[in-house]
Amino acid sequence: MIHQANPNKIVINESPLFWPARLQEKTLLVLDETLLPDKVRYIRVRNTGQAVEVIRQMKTRAFGQFLVVLNTFLLELARNKNLSDQALFQKIVQTAEALNNSRPTFPFSEVTSIVVGWAKKALEQSQDVGLSVQRNIFGYLQGIRQQRLDRIRRIAEFFQDGDSVLTHCNVSGELAMAASLCRARNKKVHFFATETRPYLQGAKLTAWELKNTGSDVTLIADNAVASIMADGLVDKVIVGSDRSCANGDFANKIGTYQIAVLAKEFDIPFYVLTQPSNKVKKGEDIPIEIRDENELLTFSKRRIVQKAVRGFYPGFDVVPHELITKSVPIDVH
Amino acid sequence: MSTNKKRYIALIQGVVNDTLFDVLKKRKSTEIYILEGRPKLKAAKVLSKSSLKRKIVPTLIADNMAGFLFYKNLVKEVWLSYQLLDKNGAVCDIGGLILAVLGHKHKVPVYLYPTAEKTPLMGKKSDVLNFNGVRVAPRNVNAYVPLVEWVPRKYISKTYSVHGSKN
Repeated sequence: MIHQANPNKIVINESPLFWPARLQEKTLLVLDETLLPDKVRYIRVRNTGQAVEVIRQMKTRAFGQFLVVLNTFLLELARNKNLSDQALFQKIVQTAEALNNSRPTFPFSEVTSIVVGWAKKALEQSQDVGLSVQRNIFGYLQGIRQQRLDRIRRIAEFFQDGDSVLTHCNVSGELAMAASLCRARNKKVHFFATETRPYLQGAKLTAWELKNTGSDVTLIADNAVASIMADGLVDKVIVGSDRSCANGDFANKIGTYQIAVLAKEFDIPFYVLTQPSNKVKKGEDIPIEIRDENELLTFSKRRIVQKAVRGFYPGFDVVPHELITKSVPIDVH
Repeated sequence: MSTNKKRYIALIQGVVNDTLFDVLKKRKSTEIYILEGRPKLKAAKVLSKSSLKRKIVPTLIADNMAGFLFYKNLVKEVWLSYQLLDKNGAVCDIGGLILAVLGHKHKVPVYLYPTAEKTPLMGKKSDVLNFNGVRVAPRNVNAYVPLVEWVPRKYISKTYSVHGSKN
C-alpha cells in the first residue's frame, strides 16, 4: 500500500511505517512490524483486548502505539453505537484504563486522557458523545499527520549534502521520508543504521525503509557506534523518542543513552524527534519497562547461550537533556 | 531485576582470557554481566561457558544495554579484552571504546585483560545481516563490520596480564 505525501510541494512515497495503523469499518488494521522486511502484513484488531496484546507483543511500537490507542477508541465507538451517552462514556473510560496498562514507558495515559476529556465534555454539554469523540479524534489525527509531514521537511533541512547520519532503532517513517526529500533536492546523504538488539528494528525496519526510498544505508552492529564516530564517519545523529520530560530529558529505545554520550564525546550533533510533555519532571522519574529475559536469550526459538545463563532486558533508556543538541518537536496535546 | 538496590556489577566486554573469571570469583559480592559481542555472539557463547565452568552464573545483556547500567550507577568496574597494547592505548574487541567512554564519564574504572584469541580487523557483511544464523536484514543492504577498535590510554585505568598482575 503506497500513499503519497507532500511535505513541501515535492511528492514523496509514504513509508508504511509512517502511518502503520488505520481503521477499516469495524476492524483496526495494524502493520505487523515483527514480520518486516520479509512480509508486509496487517493484523486485524477487533477489540480493546486485542489492541493491548498487539502493543504488549511489540507488533507495533513508537508512533504505531499512538495510532493504535486513538483508533481503538474509534473501534469501540463503532462497535457500541447503540449504547446511551452515559454508557458510551463508561466504555471510553474502560478502554482508556485497559490501554494505559499495556506497557509502562510510553505515556499512554497522556493520550487516553485527551480522549476521555472530549467524552466528558460532550456528556456535560449533552452532546452526542460518540459523534463528538469521533470528530475530535479525526481532527486530532489530521493535525498530528500535518505536523509530522512538516517535521519531515525540517529534518531534511538539517541534513547537508554529503552528510553521514547515524540513527538508532526506527523513527516511524519520518527519517526515510526525509531522506526521499533530500534525494528530490539533490542532496546526497548517507545513513548508518544500528541493528538495535534484541528486536533488531534497525536492521529490519530502518535499513529496509531507507533502502526502499533508494537511500544509501549501511547497517552496523550496536557495538560499532564508537568505532565509526572515532573514525570521523558520522556527521550527525538523529533518533526518535517515546517519552519526554519537563526538563527536556527523554526516553527512547535501549541503546540511545550510550549513543548520546558518545556523540558528546566525539563532538557530533545529536538531534531527537520529540513529543514534549510536562507530566514527568525529569528522566529519572520515567518508568522503564524491563521485559522478559527470554526475548533476549532466544532468537527464532533457539537459545543463544546455555540455559543456566540469565538475561537482563531493559526496553528503554533515558537521555539527559544536556546531551541533546536540538529537539525537533511536534505538539500532541 | 530490581534496579533500585545497590548493585556491584562487573561488565565484561570481548572474549577475555578465561583466567579473568578466577580473579572475579574471589569477589563474592560482584555480579558478572557479559555483553553479547555481535556479530558472531562469540563473547556471549565463550564467556558464558567459561563462567559457568567456575560456577559463576553470568547475566547476558545486548551490546546496546551497558549505558542503561551506567545511567543507573550499577557498574562497579569494566573489563575489556585487548590483543595489542602500547603506551598510547590498546586494540580491543569491538565495543570496547563504548564501555571505555561510559566508564570515563561515570568515573568507573576500566581494566584491560588479554584476549583469549586474536580477532581479525574486519568481519563479513553477512555477519551483521544475519543473527545467530538467521537472516534479519534486507538482502541488498550494505553493512560495515569492524571487529576491533582502538581504545586510547586516557580511558584505561589499569592493564592486567593473564596472571592477574598489573603492568
